[in-house]
Amino acid sequence: MKISFALNGRPVTRDLPPDRRVVDALREDLGLPGTKEACGTGECGACTILVDGVPRLSCLMLAAQLEGRKITTIEGIGKAEKPHPVQEAFVEAGAVQCGFCTPGMVLTAVHFLEENPGPTREEIREALSGNICRCTGYQKIVDAVELASKRLSKKGTTE
Amino acid sequence: MSLVHARPLQIGESEPRADAPAKAAGRERYAIDFYEEGMLWAGVKRADIPHAVFDGIDVEAALKVPGVVDILTAKDITGSNRQGVARRDQPVLVDDRIRHRGDGVGLVIAENREALRTAVQRITVKATPLPGVFDFETALREDAPRIHEDHPDGNILLKGHLETGDGTAAFKACAHVVEAIFELPYQEHAYLETEAGWAVTREDGTVEITASTQTPFRDRAEIAEALGIEEERIRVIAPFCGGAFGGKDGITVQSLLALAALKYPGRPVKMWWEREESFVASAKRHRARCHYRLGAGADGRFHALAAELFYDTGPYDHLGGAVMALGLEHTGGPYRIPNTCLKAWAIYTNNPVGGAFRAFGIAQATAAMEQMVDMLAEKAGYSPLEIRRINAVNQGDKTPLGVTLQTSTGIVQCLEILQEHRMWRDRAVWKNEAGPFKKRGVGLAAVMHGMGYGPVIPDVANARIELTHDGRFQVACGVVDMGQGNASTFLQIAGDILSQDRKHLTLVLPDTARTLPSGSASASRTTYTYGNALIKATFLLRERVLKRCADLMMVSDLGELALIPGAVCHVTTEREFALGEIARVMDGNERVAVAHFRAPQSCELPDIDPNLRLHGIPHVVFSYGAHLAGVEVDLLTGDIAVKQYLAVSDCGRILNPQLFEQQVQGGIAQGLGYALMEEIPVEKGEMKTLNFSTYLLPTALDIPDMTVITAGGHEATGPYGLKGVGEMPTSGPLPAVANAVADACGIRLRHFPMTPERVLAALKKERP
Amino acid sequence: MKVFLPGTLEDLWERWEKIPNARIYAGGTDFMVKLREGAIQAPALICLERIPALTKIREEENTLFIGAGVSHAGILTHPLVQTWCPVLVEALRVLGSPLIRNMGTLGGNIATASPAGDSLPALYVLDAEVVLADARKTRVLPISDFILSPGKTSLKEREIIRGVRIPRPMPYTMSRYEKVGKRKAMAVAVASLAACLRFDTNGVVKIARLAWGSVGPTIVTASRVEKALVGFPLSRKHLEEIAPMVEEAVSPIDDIRASAVYRKKIAINLLCRLAGDSNFNGRFTP
Repeated sequence: MKISFALNGRPVTRDLPPDRRVVDALREDLGLPGTKEACGTGECGACTILVDGVPRLSCLMLAAQLEGRKITTIEGIGKAEKPHPVQEAFVEAGAVQCGFCTPGMVLTAVHFLEENPGPTREEIREALSGNICRCTGYQKIVDAVELASKRLSKKGTTE
Repeated sequence: MSLVHARPLQIGESEPRADAPAKAAGRERYAIDFYEEGMLWAGVKRADIPHAVFDGIDVEAALKVPGVVDILTAKDITGSNRQGVARRDQPVLVDDRIRHRGDGVGLVIAENREALRTAVQRITVKATPLPGVFDFETALREDAPRIHEDHPDGNILLKGHLETGDGTAAFKACAHVVEAIFELPYQEHAYLETEAGWAVTREDGTVEITASTQTPFRDRAEIAEALGIEEERIRVIAPFCGGAFGGKDGITVQSLLALAALKYPGRPVKMWWEREESFVASAKRHRARCHYRLGAGADGRFHALAAELFYDTGPYDHLGGAVMALGLEHTGGPYRIPNTCLKAWAIYTNNPVGGAFRAFGIAQATAAMEQMVDMLAEKAGYSPLEIRRINAVNQGDKTPLGVTLQTSTGIVQCLEILQEHRMWRDRAVWKNEAGPFKKRGVGLAAVMHGMGYGPVIPDVANARIELTHDGRFQVACGVVDMGQGNASTFLQIAGDILSQDRKHLTLVLPDTARTLPSGSASASRTTYTYGNALIKATFLLRERVLKRCADLMMVSDLGELALIPGAVCHVTTEREFALGEIARVMDGNERVAVAHFRAPQSCELPDIDPNLRLHGIPHVVFSYGAHLAGVEVDLLTGDIAVKQYLAVSDCGRILNPQLFEQQVQGGIAQGLGYALMEEIPVEKGEMKTLNFSTYLLPTALDIPDMTVITAGGHEATGPYGLKGVGEMPTSGPLPAVANAVADACGIRLRHFPMTPERVLAALKKERP
Repeated sequence: MKVFLPGTLEDLWERWEKIPNARIYAGGTDFMVKLREGAIQAPALICLERIPALTKIREEENTLFIGAGVSHAGILTHPLVQTWCPVLVEALRVLGSPLIRNMGTLGGNIATASPAGDSLPALYVLDAEVVLADARKTRVLPISDFILSPGKTSLKEREIIRGVRIPRPMPYTMSRYEKVGKRKAMAVAVASLAACLRFDTNGVVKIARLAWGSVGPTIVTASRVEKALVGFPLSRKHLEEIAPMVEEAVSPIDDIRASAVYRKKIAINLLCRLAGDSNFNGRFTP
């Protein structure tokens, strides 16, 4: 089935089995292994992607659902030479350990900060509560989102 | 990126991790992330029978599935078909007996994942069931079914019995005695990256295996023996793991991948376990029963300890013997107890495999001991902090095993810092602020954790550092970074010694063809052991570089030269030679420095069972911690909310505070999961939780902000004074929370974790 | 397997007519899990996410209509829902995780008919009606008639849930959803209670609506308990007196998450929590 959608800002048309899980299509067919899979049942958030800007679980979506959507994966956030402020904050605040949850966490956080500038720590925890991290104990991830929030709001006022 | 500073990396600074930018960008390639042209998929048919004589598999229907290439069985294995770390008792694929439900009986190779899944489902297992062994009592009976008929000790994989002083006779002299039995659950590592890898047999006959593993060099030896091929033909590559925590300390996919790749030379073969398979087949933290009796004098000083620890190791050694031994060594915690009688068993059953998991046997012992300490404090009329301070060991004291502590011992400092912290000082006020139907309490735990392999197995690392032609220093790291950040710390060490910034440092991840054997990423040893080797190698190389540059500059005194990022500079004239220029005048051997480090080993307890020494008793270097948990118990539901947490650690000098905090916070989070929600109910060898919907991991709302403090110690044998921090924090939360719950409501559970249901039942019992 | 994404209800009926055994799904948060398990066999799948008629929230005379295809997140943040039925907002706020709430739909939560479905106790106390449609007609059922048993509903062949209708609620002074799970997010309810109460100025209960989740094969309501609350202030003493009525009303089971005994106990205790939180003019004494 020919499926057309925007992937990280670029239009793509691909012949994909319509019932292929989006996580598999991204990783295997579209060469974007930054999206991870850790549970396959929507309980961990490692496979989070943005669909029309909203975080969704790519293990619970089928390729046919990509049609006409704007899809953002971790590869579409920031650039190697200029990472997204959330990515920078993750690095600086020590929010990355094994890094396997990080793509999903970053995508969730990017969307959350767009919708909720200046959140409290409790609100950040709530926002991240569908993304499991087994390494960090979450504290530094919360620190990172807080740091990114401060930087983003500063940027908003100066620019 | 703004993080790349032209500032040299420095020991003691919170340098952001070198691996973080690529991971945050989704660019880091894990073992699961390789998709090669013409790749085959391999997958295992699991027995799903706990104990049986194996009569083969029926593959006819499976072979008919379009896309199925082959189905291999034990008959395709020409080697010993046995793997394991201490005792090689686990088959790659079952050949005679099925010993647990997760045993692999066939290896399907298919063109794609869908065909693989279908084919695996269509295989039927032929087996003659045997009576199963699912509990300690049955396993230890004389007439119990034997799980390994060739094992001389029946179903006892390994046992230990150590006594000091008057042993149990000393209880007669105790003014206060407390006794309890604690049942500790299985814990799943639940690394987010399940077991995975890929392999290919190259044209020269080498089989190259890329796997999520903590132990590439040991894997190579195990694979060679199990499959009957020469070690030289095997190359194991270990990318960053997506978490491991001990669960990848031992073979998972490696031999199976090699078996498939050898059968189909030239074709890459990939394997990636689904979460359910990971639950079924992977090793777990041992389910354990701890029976303790602790006695003290009227002065609150511990006088006698008797303990029996039972570890359910499942059907294979994995590292169960070593886990039990480490638990046995730490039975009595960081206290002076002159009379002890300590016994432990690692017991074979047909339950899931027990294996290595961060805090390795100590988590179970500490869970029990630290609750005993509070129970005794209450009985003897001491505060929980006071009784710990009275009994805590200092350097030079003997442990409950009778081993003299010869290295830095900071538990007393940890407790003193905790005592001065506002979380402890203000506890009464804090406890009074509980809302309606809530009660608050605080609880302590003191923990210790021995580092490294123990007195017999050489605990060795071989560091290699090279000045490359592009003017950068390349650290070849032979010990895996499973997420702890040790690889990053190695760059920090090299950067500090060579005054280089991150840009001028590169890393080669563990690869049996490109790095040197440096042991496993385990036992809280990686930074200690490899770091010590790397410091030596780096100083060697530094001197060579400076000498060469001195020749180029025609300077005789090396003191006139300084390394700066990317160059060597003459301090008075500010003349510079770029590192690349210096590299070009050095020959290949000269640009590479290699150094070896072997960790100190204890010569104490020479007369104990040699098998216990082989399994690691006793250790020389220990890290310590004092934990304080503040909890709120919901009297209506039994729910426990951990509201605050303090951990004071003696891990020697901290090389990177950020990484230290990562380890402590992450260890506490796993410990809180163990305390509150993680468990795998098992019935007749069958796990009842096989996914993240029923096996619950703490979310961001379950873990509080934690206060993490260093006690500021210095370990003379460690790199810059460091001791291992990876495991120690994991042991504290369960007893700290249990003690806090007891403080809040006067209840003490015997079965863990402390689910709301268990708490409410205990509350009801307490006040009918 | 083919997957279709009809853009209108007409497209849906047409497609379904052609492939009668096709299975439909919306957010996929339950459906995809079952599909992966191999529990769903179908010649084709039809995804409802592109049908605008299913994603509307609007006021209709004296009812609020919520389209079956609106995501939980979409409902939570909708101003009409916030003012109209805060108890539903409270319930959806603790349903699954933020990611699940972005994907899962109200229609899906109803169709799954799990006694642990977090929207359900709220919909019961709100006297919600389920609007059902097939190619020819629309029919309306009270939610309590629509849900039959775990996983079983009154949905007929080739019929979908179009949405729910919520009558204008009483002017409640307290709207609560109390959930007990085994962790603080992404938890399946071990027991839950939706409660809407109206007190007079003296703290005496005038109207009480209660519905429990996860303590029976479907959502449990108990008019006896509701009636017994009326005319008294919410006090612990009074609640203890009526506890046996609650115990009688619920019929929980043992499962991997909790025992029946525990569920029974907290079904009562959750009522006590309401008492603790009502605290009228300092009259409340726990």
